[in-house]
Amino acid sequence: MLYQLLHEIEATPDTLSLGQLAAKLRVEESALRGMIDFWVRKGRLRGDEVGATEALPICSSAGCHRCPGAAQCPFVMKMPATVSLKRET
Amino acid sequence: MPHTTLSTRPLVNYGQPIETELEKLAAIIAANPALAKRYPPRWLAIQLLERDDDLLAEVQSAGATEVLAALDETFNRLEPLFGADVDVALANARYRFVNNLVHQIVKTPANPTESLSDRVDRIVTNQWLGIPIFLGIMWFVFKITTDVATPMLDWISNTLAGPITHRTLALLQAVHLQNTWVSSLLVDGVIAGVGGVLVFVPVLMSLYLALALLEDSGYMARAAFVMDRFMHIIGLHGKSFLPMIVGFGCNVPAVYATRTLENRRDRILTGLLVPFMSCGARLPVYVLFTAIFFPQYAGAVIFGLYLLGILAAIGVGMLLRKTLFIQTERTALVMELPPYRPPNPPTVWQYIWERTSAFIHNAWTMILAASLVVWLLMAIPMRGGSFGNTPVNDSAFAVLSNGLAQTVFKPLGFGNWQNSGALVTGFVAKEVVVSTLAQEFNADNTAASRTVETTWQEDLRDTVVSFGQAAVDTLKTIPAVVGINLFPADTTTDQPSTLMETIRAEFEQVSGGHGTLAALAFLVFVLLYTPCVATLAAQRQEFGARWMWLGVVGQTSLAWMLALLIFQGGKLLGLG
Repeated sequence: MLYQLLHEIEATPDTLSLGQLAAKLRVEESALRGMIDFWVRKGRLRGDEVGATEALPICSSAGCHRCPGAAQCPFVMKMPATVSLKRET
Repeated sequence: MPHTTLSTRPLVNYGQPIETELEKLAAIIAANPALAKRYPPRWLAIQLLERDDDLLAEVQSAGATEVLAALDETFNRLEPLFGADVDVALANARYRFVNNLVHQIVKTPANPTESLSDRVDRIVTNQWLGIPIFLGIMWFVFKITTDVATPMLDWISNTLAGPITHRTLALLQAVHLQNTWVSSLLVDGVIAGVGGVLVFVPVLMSLYLALALLEDSGYMARAAFVMDRFMHIIGLHGKSFLPMIVGFGCNVPAVYATRTLENRRDRILTGLLVPFMSCGARLPVYVLFTAIFFPQYAGAVIFGLYLLGILAAIGVGMLLRKTLFIQTERTALVMELPPYRPPNPPTVWQYIWERTSAFIHNAWTMILAASLVVWLLMAIPMRGGSFGNTPVNDSAFAVLSNGLAQTVFKPLGFGNWQNSGALVTGFVAKEVVVSTLAQEFNADNTAASRTVETTWQEDLRDTVVSFGQAAVDTLKTIPAVVGINLFPADTTTDQPSTLMETIRAEFEQVSGGHGTLAALAFLVFVLLYTPCVATLAAQRQEFGARWMWLGVVGQTSLAWMLALLIFQGGKLLGLG
């Protein structure tokens, strides 16, 4: 089942919702979350949340100021959590 | 006391090779009293096979060398069968067991009823309907943003130009500073510049309200899902659209959000596309110009600009994908979509308040600083006059801006020093385009020539009365947004301000009578050229100076070419 999950993500060219993936694999969404967490821990999948970027200083020729980072910046919209295959960069 | 098993047969069967090894290992553990006393032998054997570091350390500290030796031998025997993934085989068996159990126990009807969320999702995230629905919702958002906010926008504008300016002048008069450069600084620098941007707070609040409702209801995640899938279809990395959506709020965190992309080339590609997304700072420019040139279709034009930004990003992305970023590979993406829910009023208010207060803070810091620099340059005489008392056309700012206006912006239809100067200061932040225009066109009506003809009581009464009228007018616009026109338009209250009239006249004059086309070209230029220095700094930090400069040159060139196409093409076709 765990390998089937990896194969399904690898073979699917589209973006899938968690519900769609659960239906394809015929597993409960809660079980699928656990399976995904397992592969994230193993380093084969990566889970991301846009908006989780840490605060950073921005420096330019005009000087430095502190960007609050996506996590604290009030203009960052809450985006859905995503999971994708982890590849070597 | 040693642990006893409740059942002789374990619930989960891990398959023959693993079960054989587990039995051997469990027997060795059971023979060690220190370990058997604390843990069930089979359970501990499973944990050790799954490489639980804490338990392994405990076994080592217990001096159970026979268990460690047996574990090594077990791995040696299992690795030819499972590679280094013995733990995966164990976890896999457990998930298979749980899944089978669920299928045996949970009775699902042959035709299960869909939840409301699933039914809505079937339409909203549909492959063919998803994008039109997303575009329809965004169009509605901009219609609300422009229509509902207009009365309050007018109220703030009139209050700044009237009572606040009057009281500032009266105060200056009281301390004998009227008709001095201090008076000019406060009225033409601070009130015209910062006030010119603060006028748009109601528009931004309306936009933030609409976005908060979409986000808190769970729709925004669907919008990301639908557009993300679309990006995938056209060959761009699906995950790219998430930072791009963040770019609608502010391009700086959007550049940082590209970190969620694993591949550096994908990060750079997305980071170069993010500035095409219309950030909130560009909205005041859109609102001002649509109110002047497209008053009947303001929402539609603003929506069109946002859409053009997305299309430009897609077009440039596809081009870069086929040239500089060929090697990047496509990867599938799974998104967790939250269930739909009614928006929570405190959360919505917090969303609006945080964003609006950040915008106001920005106006009092960066925009104030930019306004003061512009004022200073407009106060310095280049062709006669004295400091703070020079015709604005002879000021340092006008002379410096005019060179660029005549060479770069003339073919685009907006080649005067005012527009050129506003676009240059717009590199600081896009709101500064509006504050600079307000200062430039306000400068002719100099502080020195102004007199206070109202008392503070009259100003206060006007402010309160006009606020009440604006509040009533705001309520009247709400049914009209959904197509119910209960109140006929009162044309007498929709008079354009002096600033708006001046901008229209200048555009008509500089474009040779094609003011509307020139204004559209100006808006497209503002949409597409480099957003601000903070975004550039973020790009430089994330991707290096080379990519940052490529972005600046590419975006500004594209902005210039599209603006040229709109103005010259429109003229050729007899439009505008």
